[in-house]
Amino acid sequence: MPIIIISSDSYKTGREIGEKTAKATGYDYVDREILGPVAEKSNVQEEKLIKALDEAPSFLGLSSKLRNKYLAYIQEATLGQLLEDNVVCHGLAAHLYVLGVSHALKVRVLSDPEELASQLSSEAGGSAEKVKKLLKRQDAQRKRWSLEAFDLDETDPSNYDMVINLSQIDPDEAVKTIADMTAYRKFQPMTYSVKCLRDKELASRVRMVLMERFSDVRVQADGSTIVVETKAIKREKQKRTEAIKELAGGIAGVGYVEVHVANDIFRQAAESSR
Amino acid sequence: MSERLDVMLLDDEPIVGKRLKPALTKIGCEVEVFQNPKEALDRINEKEFDIVVTDIRMDEIDGLQILEEVGKKSERTKVIMITGYAMMAVAREAMEKGAFDFIAKPFKPDDLRKVIARAAKALGSTIDFEGAST
Repeated sequence: MPIIIISSDSYKTGREIGEKTAKATGYDYVDREILGPVAEKSNVQEEKLIKALDEAPSFLGLSSKLRNKYLAYIQEATLGQLLEDNVVCHGLAAHLYVLGVSHALKVRVLSDPEELASQLSSEAGGSAEKVKKLLKRQDAQRKRWSLEAFDLDETDPSNYDMVINLSQIDPDEAVKTIADMTAYRKFQPMTYSVKCLRDKELASRVRMVLMERFSDVRVQADGSTIVVETKAIKREKQKRTEAIKELAGGIAGVGYVEVHVANDIFRQAAESSR
Repeated sequence: MSERLDVMLLDDEPIVGKRLKPALTKIGCEVEVFQNPKEALDRINEKEFDIVVTDIRMDEIDGLQILEEVGKKSERTKVIMITGYAMMAVAREAMEKGAFDFIAKPFKPDDLRKVIARAAKALGSTIDFEGAST
């Protein structure tokens, strides 16, 4: 059966729709509860993982490097859950990295603005004008976050199979529509789409291991073949290639490792000028 | 249905048929190989196959057209799409039009055998294709 990925402009709304959809379809529900075990496994505070999912890097907040590392942990854990099939997933940014998987039904749920405003008002307090400004800022921040982290605008409707506006559609009706869509033939798993998801899961596992030493790595998988891209100065190329092959080669499911090391021109220039 | 499984294999690259035919024959399939989609369509109009395995990108007639034609002729025939140009949109389109499965090239003969085994099961075949492939 398809996997359902819910994204929303409000975590609370997304969670409500996600849980109800899981109940209606009989699927498992995966949300930020998995972050506890992820935090434990990777020895990171759970709050920091949540921060990586919610906030754009800033001077006082998380650095880009740390944010990417934490997102890699979350991605690896989430993709592992999605391989199980029959899953509704929410709150883990899966809509931004489960790309090209035809049995992943992606739904964007837009909250009723009035309800969202009252939610925010009770959380942050303040006048209607202040809440309006806060909402606008929140939207801009999410857009910036998704573009920086995954090079995709999560507010862009073209990134979803369906967008539901809860100011026009009752939540229960929305859940029924999502559940009905899972019966569409085009969202059924097939050999190709299952392989796409498996490749992503393997690539995420390899990336997570390699990122501990090489934060810039990009990893792709095709079956058991792994292609790793990274940057290094000339004299380090050989050493880095060997290290990556050794690290990646030891991961379950990896057969062949191909490494492409591009010249790190900035570090090379800095070395030359010394 | 008879215990023999009638399979059509259509791909304009001769190597595909050459490589896959023995793999499918080994598990008890009666395989007819075609490289020309027009000739394959003529044969589809003459005979009801249990399974049609077709490439998608071919000159003149593509695999999605073959899928539609097979669907018109026989609802029970399972169509398996294979392609070197796999993309989500095409995969969804094929499934929507009734494909049984969709496989990206390159794949191992055993990958196709597994899908054939599932198709045979869906057709009610009692042949143990999984056992035959070992």
